[in-house]
Amino acid sequence: MSQRYYEDTNLDDELEPLERTPTTDMAIDFFGRDNPTNPAFSDIEAGKRLGVGGALVPGLLKLSWITQYVSDWAGTEGHVKNLRAAYRRPDVADRPLVLGGRVVDKRVEDGKHIVELEVVTLADGQPSTRANVQVELPAKG
Amino acid sequence: MSVPEQSLITDEHRAAIGVKSDPVKVVIGEVDAHRMRDVLEDKDPRWADGTGLAPSYVIAGMGGGPRRGMPQILPGGLLTQQEWKFSRPFKIGEELSAVSQVFDIRDRLGGRYGYSVLVTQGTEYFDSDGHHVASAMITITQFDPKSQRKGDE
Repeated sequence: MSQRYYEDTNLDDELEPLERTPTTDMAIDFFGRDNPTNPAFSDIEAGKRLGVGGALVPGLLKLSWITQYVSDWAGTEGHVKNLRAAYRRPDVADRPLVLGGRVVDKRVEDGKHIVELEVVTLADGQPSTRANVQVELPAKG
Repeated sequence: MSVPEQSLITDEHRAAIGVKSDPVKVVIGEVDAHRMRDVLEDKDPRWADGTGLAPSYVIAGMGGGPRRGMPQILPGGLLTQQEWKFSRPFKIGEELSAVSQVFDIRDRLGGRYGYSVLVTQGTEYFDSDGHHVASAMITITQFDPKSQRKGDE
């Protein structure tokens, strides 16, 4: 994990795409097998009753992946401050998702060096989640 | 269920808007934090064993979170929007106080269910000194699965 600095970040910089394949086991293990979760996360039929077409991928899992994705991009001295996500389409377990992102703004606020990213999850090339993420990066000065 | 002739949102539902819950104690558990980290295969050294810090996405599993006390107007629900804010990192073992409230309830006509209800609820987490640590806000689209348009299954 390399460190990214505010000065080296430019508008329209793109993040390296990353593929993740959510599974039903992953969804259940993430929240803990002893904790109650939506049955549609593990039960294909329950997902179909919701109109999803299979076991539903938890939005919280996708947002956690986005958090990790941006955090890894920023480096250990960077801090994810805010994520705002719109879930455009439900995702189905065992179908690969590709995370991608780009820099859409950078500014100094109250002495903090803030970079804003647009991040998406793509399923079959179509966005299923769109997120705006604000991350604070260190400055070289 | 077809589109109702009038809103299913009652005065009782509306009365819940803006009312803050009593604080609920939430502890950042080491087992939970490490399990979530390991499922995501997160190798960030900040959350490695022994650092005392938890990745920010542990907020996804924190009790006392946004769905607690959310009015259930229609039987089905899908998470459609979400926001997380972090003022500082989570510390493993620390006890936080969670306060939730409903921010908005509104009808929606159209879409795959014909009629749905959007409920937005948020939770703020404070440390023992009363300082803000994090916030989570969600919008759930509630619907009747039986109303789904043909061809959307």
